[in-house]
Amino acid sequence: MIVEDEVLVAMALRDELEAASYHVLDLTDRHEQAVAVAQESTPDLALVNIQLRGRDDGIELAKHLKALSIPVVLISGQVSRARSAQTVAIGSMPKPYSAVEMVEAVTYLLARIDGDESPPRPSGLEVFEAALGDHALS
Amino acid sequence: MATRPPNDTEDPALSLAMAVIMSSPTPLLLLDGELRVAGASLSFCETFGVDVATASGHHVFELGTGEWDVTQLRALLTAIAGGTAQIVAFEMELKRPDCETRCLIINARRLVYQDLGQPWLLVAVADVTDARASERAKNEIIDQLGVLLREVRHRVANSLQIVSAVLLQNARRTTSPETRDYLRDAHHRVMAVAQLERQLSESQTGDEGVELRAYFTNLCNNIAASLIGEEKAVTLVVTGGGLVTSRVSVSLGLIVTELVINALKHAFPNGGAGRIEIGYNSHGPNWTLSVRDDGIGLPDDPVMSRTGLGTGIVQALAKQLQATVETAPAVPGTVVRVEHVRVALVGENEDRNSSATLSEGPRSEPTHDEPGRSNANEHVARR
Repeated sequence: MIVEDEVLVAMALRDELEAASYHVLDLTDRHEQAVAVAQESTPDLALVNIQLRGRDDGIELAKHLKALSIPVVLISGQVSRARSAQTVAIGSMPKPYSAVEMVEAVTYLLARIDGDESPPRPSGLEVFEAALGDHALS
Repeated sequence: MATRPPNDTEDPALSLAMAVIMSSPTPLLLLDGELRVAGASLSFCETFGVDVATASGHHVFELGTGEWDVTQLRALLTAIAGGTAQIVAFEMELKRPDCETRCLIINARRLVYQDLGQPWLLVAVADVTDARASERAKNEIIDQLGVLLREVRHRVANSLQIVSAVLLQNARRTTSPETRDYLRDAHHRVMAVAQLERQLSESQTGDEGVELRAYFTNLCNNIAASLIGEEKAVTLVVTGGGLVTSRVSVSLGLIVTELVINALKHAFPNGGAGRIEIGYNSHGPNWTLSVRDDGIGLPDDPVMSRTGLGTGIVQALAKQLQATVETAPAVPGTVVRVEHVRVALVGENEDRNSSATLSEGPRSEPTHDEPGRSNANEHVARR
């Protein structure tokens, strides 16, 4: 699931994820919309930009998604803001990011959630281990 | 010791000194060895509300309502009168009833002249309250501008990411491999600038310095993620580093992007393991950027040498930086050096002459490592 306020960036990311055989839900760019999609489809992972449309806050959305047991990766140009939310997100990716690197991050995090530590961690990805541990299968 | 007010003395020299002090536009006090006021300038009296008629003969700490009786000032003036200290610039706050607190810089020194039996102190007082307030206001404005600049850079980075996303989408949709390559190269060029803007948006020093090591490492990570496939085990290594202005760094970043993409495309045609080393070293105003691979090396036929858009971009940016570009065989592989020499430094000519053949292994620069070797001073991107 991608929640991103820049639709062209979101489309490029969606294409790259789909090319890597991931199923991507409908693109969203607002809090309420994203929660509705998440409740309906329960994605394995949500990629959430910290800054959303209509002044919606990605960190608030991450709290909501965490309550739905959906792991969240925050995307932000402000690394310190993303770090401040490491209790609600399992990782963060700095902007601007390469869509290819984001696919690697998704692969890595989904593997970690499944208990597989073998994929290499993309260098741009910051992992919030405590929150990731809450979602990881024991 | 009694003070001799200027009108009571028949000493022409002292009388002249008093007249000079009285008329000084800078607030001045002349004190005797007991720290009593022998003379005060009109400017001092007007600025600090002291009665010019009664100031002379009083202890300096009795002036006004006693606001000059500050422990530290007393200690310092006493030490100066005794010849054991000299105030260069003592800053103090002057608090007067019903007046705004003023920030003062006190300069005091014991006068040296022929009459050694009578010490005199000249005290100059500068009111820097308004200057300090202006400086604070200026610093606040600079801080605000810095915040705005970082926000602008943040937005520029986001905008460039949109452009690069469009290029990547176009690359994915095109059926022509050649066009796809062009679009991906363009995507990397835009991302190179976008990453610099992001790095600058997080920097507290603004344009004062871009840390090249971190910047090149980010660039290499990005390029490695999209250009190094599973079949290619090529390692990108960043060595050296330094601080440069944002204007220079954007050119260097684009040059690195071009040279690394070029090496990835041409140096390892058969796959397999390889290494590309990006090094930046500076000495005063001079610097060298090098990109060295351990691939197949330059083609035997010079006509086959690379002359595409990437080469043109590297040449143009190097010219803009007043640098030269030199491509030479390495053992193994190829090295491209972009070199800026502004001042000939002692001993450097010898080094350059000794490496003029360019090809017999790594140069003697201490931060460059031999291909295939790794150390703690490297940042590595690989797949």
